[in-house]
Amino acid sequence: MSDIGKVRLRIPSSIKPGDVVQVRSLVIHPMERVERDAQGKIVQKNYNYINKVIVTYLGKTVVTFDTTQGVAENPFFSFTFKATDPGQLKVQFLDTTGGRYEGTVEIKFS
Amino acid sequence: MTDDQLVTRRAVLGVLGALSVVAAGGGLVTGAPGTAHAQALGQNESVQDTMKRLFGDKPIKDGAAVIKLDLPLIAENGAVVPISVNVDSPMTPTNYVRHIYVVADKNRIPLITRVTLAPEAGRAFMGANVRLGETGDVRAIVEQSDGTLLLVKREVKVTVGGCGG
Repeated sequence: MSDIGKVRLRIPSSIKPGDVVQVRSLVIHPMERVERDAQGKIVQKNYNYINKVIVTYLGKTVVTFDTTQGVAENPFFSFTFKATDPGQLKVQFLDTTGGRYEGTVEIKFS
Repeated sequence: MTDDQLVTRRAVLGVLGALSVVAAGGGLVTGAPGTAHAQALGQNESVQDTMKRLFGDKPIKDGAAVIKLDLPLIAENGAVVPISVNVDSPMTPTNYVRHIYVVADKNRIPLITRVTLAPEAGRAFMGANVRLGETGDVRAIVEQSDGTLLLVKREVKVTVGGCGG
């Protein structure tokens, strides 16, 4: 469990200016699912799951995912962005307990 | 005089304490303040209610021509089902895909994710691993920048459900 919040980002090995780049991101997170008691009633508690994923490139928000518990454990998301300038791509994961996990990757042209 | 003040102070503190307990209890039920929106986003409800809540009575057109919904025909493990949605869109500032919604009909919380895109995304694409409770339709609904709604759906057979809740 100590791995919670470990973020992995994968980008293609070579990017040219103007390319539409597909990024794959993964975060280690339990994504707790709804629990029910013996009577089938939902247990009321603050479930710990990621409810927002924010992707920023050159300081501008490109893609946002609003997620519910319907997303699998250790969630994987992929998305695209248009690489115009070299700079930082940042992916932030926010969970319902206030946790904030982020991963960054430098976009360089080759 | 001093006694009076003490009593008042105690009384005030007591009331404050009780209030904070009530607040904490309320917090448990509705979630922390920051999560209120997320809780409202996905609720335990039928898929009809979800669609009505998200889109009201707006007409939804068939989007089979532009939306490519990619997910397995048979999901052996409902806990991890890869899904991707690719929309044919120019993604210019005047004509782009604003939102992609993914809804699983048979999940107890049907709305899985809402993706918000900016024109800078370059392509209207999203991919994720989702949970599916049982065999049923999975819908992808696309909202374009002019407000047009497009929908595609596909049935997925789920061998082992992955939602539990």
